[in-house]
Amino acid sequence: MTSLSPSDPIDGAPGAIEGANGGIQPGRYYGRGIPYLPINGYPGKLIAVEGTDGVGRSTQIQLLREWLEVKGYGVIETGWTRSPLMQPTIELAKSSNTLNKLTFVLLYATDFADRLEKEVIPALKAGFVVLSDRYIFTALARAGVRGVDRAWLRSVYGFAIAPHLVFYLNVDVKTLIRRVLEARGMDFWESGMDLKTGDDIYESFRSYQSKLLKEYASMADEFHFRKVDARRSVDRIQDELRKQVEAFLEPAEKLAEPALVR
Amino acid sequence: MTFSLLHATDFADRLLYKIIPPLKAGMIVLADRYAYTAFARDATRGVDRTWVRELYSFAVRPDLTLYFRVPIEMSLDRLMARRVKLKFYEAGMDLGWSSNPVESFRLFQGKVLDEYDRIVDEFGLEVVNAAGSITEQQRLVRGLISRHLQVTDTEISDDEPLTI
Repeated sequence: MTSLSPSDPIDGAPGAIEGANGGIQPGRYYGRGIPYLPINGYPGKLIAVEGTDGVGRSTQIQLLREWLEVKGYGVIETGWTRSPLMQPTIELAKSSNTLNKLTFVLLYATDFADRLEKEVIPALKAGFVVLSDRYIFTALARAGVRGVDRAWLRSVYGFAIAPHLVFYLNVDVKTLIRRVLEARGMDFWESGMDLKTGDDIYESFRSYQSKLLKEYASMADEFHFRKVDARRSVDRIQDELRKQVEAFLEPAEKLAEPALVR
Repeated sequence: MTFSLLHATDFADRLLYKIIPPLKAGMIVLADRYAYTAFARDATRGVDRTWVRELYSFAVRPDLTLYFRVPIEMSLDRLMARRVKLKFYEAGMDLGWSSNPVESFRLFQGKVLDEYDRIVDEFGLEVVNAAGSITEQQRLVRGLISRHLQVTDTEISDDEPLTI
């Protein structure tokens, strides 16, 4: 079977997400983008918090949000599979046994596109700080573990915007297991049970999450992750995030509003 | 974008469950529309042409693709004659080019046809003049298909041993 690939590319512009030194520009599209939505020069900032299941992302985002709002920033949050368009569909598909790795990727991508067009881009246009609980790296990691072609994934997500900051909450699998067991226990998808490596949910979780962590690690340089040691306490992690966010936002603020300084 | 990705998801599902298994079994699969429909519609909606092609690169390339070409006015006349109510997305009403469904259909599908012409050359589609009568078209189609198939008798012969 031959694949359906373009026999004659329309023009020579770069297609997929650019590699490590290929010039990812924060606030711009990674790849071919969305031609009918030009985003250059939008004043908002996009901050992604990445990390595997149970690493403490939501807690950290909640704290960041309160802190930023007290400082006077307009903040919106967006989170994985939370689009009104796709959330019910994704839940339904996950509860049936019909999902395969391709439709899995494409459903996630649709959810992401919906949130990008309806939430993220309008907020960036209006000058908000957008906190994204997970970003495309979650999709790249999960699909990568499932053996989906990496170049194709990067091309599909070429419509995503490169965040201004990507925090990667890094954890080892041993710490992760304890945390997840204390909090709520292991669930089917987080344990990669669909990969059918075995019936033992503990072993499956350990093996799946280890692979995910490796996938994330392999993307760190390519996508300019700022690695944060997530084994530490909530407060310590939050301090580090705030320092880095502050260092990024304050100079940007001064440049953007010189008229306020008399 | 979501319009494009939702259709791709549906396509992927049908490809893996309805298209690839019969192909593996050596059967003929007739697809009413294929990825080319997405290439034409999505590009008209302003999605990047190369991106859509890369998105669908998981698709199997058909052995033969027939494109039924018809002028836009004839397409409209046929739909109107059947008193079909034009569908919102089919008429491209989501693009807001016209509040009149017929006018919107003419504008949108006109551009879709331009995209198809580009695709015909790019992927070597066989063009069937769909302005002709059904009988004429069917003769043409049968001619094209039989050229592509070695029409073999698949009747099971009595000599063939049944292996399990």
